Amino acid sequence: MNITVRNGSFFYQKDTPIFKDICFSAGAGEIVAILGPNGAGKTTLLRCITGMLKWRSGESLLDGKSIHTMSSKELWSRIAYVPQAKSASSAYTAFETVLLGRSSHLNAFSAPKQADLEKAKEVMELLGIFHLADKKCNAISGGELQMVLIAKALASDPRVLILDEPESNLDFKNQLIVLDTMTRLAESGMTCIFNTHYPAHALQRSHKALLLSRGGDYVFGATSAVVTRENIRKAFGVEAVIGEIETPGNILQNVIPLQISESMPEAPEEDVRSIATITIIAGSNHMSDRINGLLHEYNHLMIGRMGMPYRECGLYLITVTLDGKRSAIQELSHRLTILPDVSVKTTFAKGQF
Amino acid sequence: MKTGHFSARWCILLWILPVAVGLLALGIGRVSIPAAQVFAAIADVFTGSQTVPQLTRMTLWNLRLPRILLAALAGAGLSVAGCAFQSLFANPLATPDTLGVASGASFGAALGLLLGFDLAGVQLTALAMGAAAVGLTWLAGSGKRKGLSSIVLAGIMMGSLFNALVSLVKFMADEESQLPAITYWLMGGLNNADYKTLLLGAPPILAGIALLFLLRWRMNLLPLSEDEARASGVNIGVLRGITVISATMITASCVSMCGQVGWVGLLIPHMCRMKFGSNHLSLLPASISFGAAFLIIVDTVARSASAQEIPISILTAIIGAPFFIALMRKTGGWSL
Repeated sequence: MNITVRNGSFFYQKDTPIFKDICFSAGAGEIVAILGPNGAGKTTLLRCITGMLKWRSGESLLDGKSIHTMSSKELWSRIAYVPQAKSASSAYTAFETVLLGRSSHLNAFSAPKQADLEKAKEVMELLGIFHLADKKCNAISGGELQMVLIAKALASDPRVLILDEPESNLDFKNQLIVLDTMTRLAESGMTCIFNTHYPAHALQRSHKALLLSRGGDYVFGATSAVVTRENIRKAFGVEAVIGEIETPGNILQNVIPLQISESMPEAPEEDVRSIATITIIAGSNHMSDRINGLLHEYNHLMIGRMGMPYRECGLYLITVTLDGKRSAIQELSHRLTILPDVSVKTTFAKGQF
Repeated sequence: MKTGHFSARWCILLWILPVAVGLLALGIGRVSIPAAQVFAAIADVFTGSQTVPQLTRMTLWNLRLPRILLAALAGAGLSVAGCAFQSLFANPLATPDTLGVASGASFGAALGLLLGFDLAGVQLTALAMGAAAVGLTWLAGSGKRKGLSSIVLAGIMMGSLFNALVSLVKFMADEESQLPAITYWLMGGLNNADYKTLLLGAPPILAGIALLFLLRWRMNLLPLSEDEARASGVNIGVLRGITVISATMITASCVSMCGQVGWVGLLIPHMCRMKFGSNHLSLLPASISFGAAFLIIVDTVARSASAQEIPISILTAIIGAPFFIALMRKTGGWSL
């Protein structure tokens, strides 16, 4: 399901706008990360998108239909919202909490029926947290609570999932569990929009990113084009390097803040012509189809290509060589990297062309 | 996994408990009536014969039964109202009086007594002032910075305002006749119970309990954070409104019939939360059953322990507080 914001503006006091004419969209199966410094209005943006706060001007559209014309029930059986775990109520057991996610499907005087119980059980099993069913939400860890809240959101059978800092305050493992869950859901066609304090998570997971600055400026686009040194400097006022960490399977991108920036921004790096080879190993037939589709979009850059299945191990090995703008190659590389079960490495040729 | 539904055993127990306690209470009082006679009298109602003496019949059906019915209604009603307010404000200290209902109703009753109204008149002024107090609280609390905590604050203010007005009425009352009447009335008691009082006071309580009982699963959404509640796809404003109106009807009507009966609205829901958890699917029915049984027991003690009737608020606290503390220490309490 497609969610689009058209010319959204919001302010609490007229002279201090929070957002000015924000436009962006997220399609089915896409993950969109919302980044920005403290106080830029990330949570406010989520609340505006979902209509919990009303845009001062502009609108949110679900598959082209304005959400203001939808009933609360209609809207919230398509969209689900996962609040920050710390603000969640914890008096109920995990199962009771997940069951509350069925509210939009039940009328006022009815209690959950067998089908609702089954659904709640199903989503908890899908997320691997059914063993927590009878535990009270105040007796489980922060990571477990976050998963319970995601399960609660999924229980309403949504097509769009909106998550407010889902991986904040979690340890490494739980961060990965939450991020993997998002990737998995997006692969099954869910539209995911999430707030995050970690630009690296956006780089590693999201298709598109929206970077907010204080005062209402924003950048939206493919993640690799949004999360750049220049944009981070502008939005956060911080000098950062976007480093690449080579792992056995992938090259992961990471953002490391260096210092608070004082000077004027440097001239942006020129978008130079580059030659690069991307080596890809896919773990399934399904994924190799996805990759071929993606490569097809970059046919005009392609100067060489080799692909072969290695059936014995169920692997697909693909190597492509590209000639084009560095940013375009980085974009392709990034889009490949965020696919699940895919190893990707990009090597740029030295020298200028 | 726990679904919040009762097991069949608990379901039967919750139905039987108030009925059994009520039957037992019929036999207890300043004049003790043996169980055999109580059952004979009940059998008479169905068969139409008269096997028990006239005096026993009168005591049972005109004195004790309305009183037991009132105790059951008030106990169940105050527990449900307390439970609803605790969930609504996500505050374990909320009581049926949080929005100033009971203070307003007390003022109405005191005013009625001062002006020399008859019992029905006192009951009506109490109901009206209780509703007015909540209306004022809602208006005062929903100003520029809307939020449930500002409404709770406004409720505390409104409560103290009406308590001051009660004091003013007492100050103006005649020391010989009116002041003792007002004082006794404020201490709470079910001695005014008769079928006429019940006819006026029972419908709002029953309607309030029924409404909240039907909405009981949906009430689980009340303690959630604002965004979570909105995102449930339920019109949370309407749900809150219905909850407040129901709880107000119940509380105002209880106060109009038996004065301020403290503690029940705090004690019983907490007890039930410790035993059954926070899921209103079971919490609400349990509160109704235990609330009714508890107040029947306390009232029976109040009217039969000594020659002079003991005001009920004193007893609810004396019986309730130690029991509650013991339970809290045993279960480790609960959280909302």
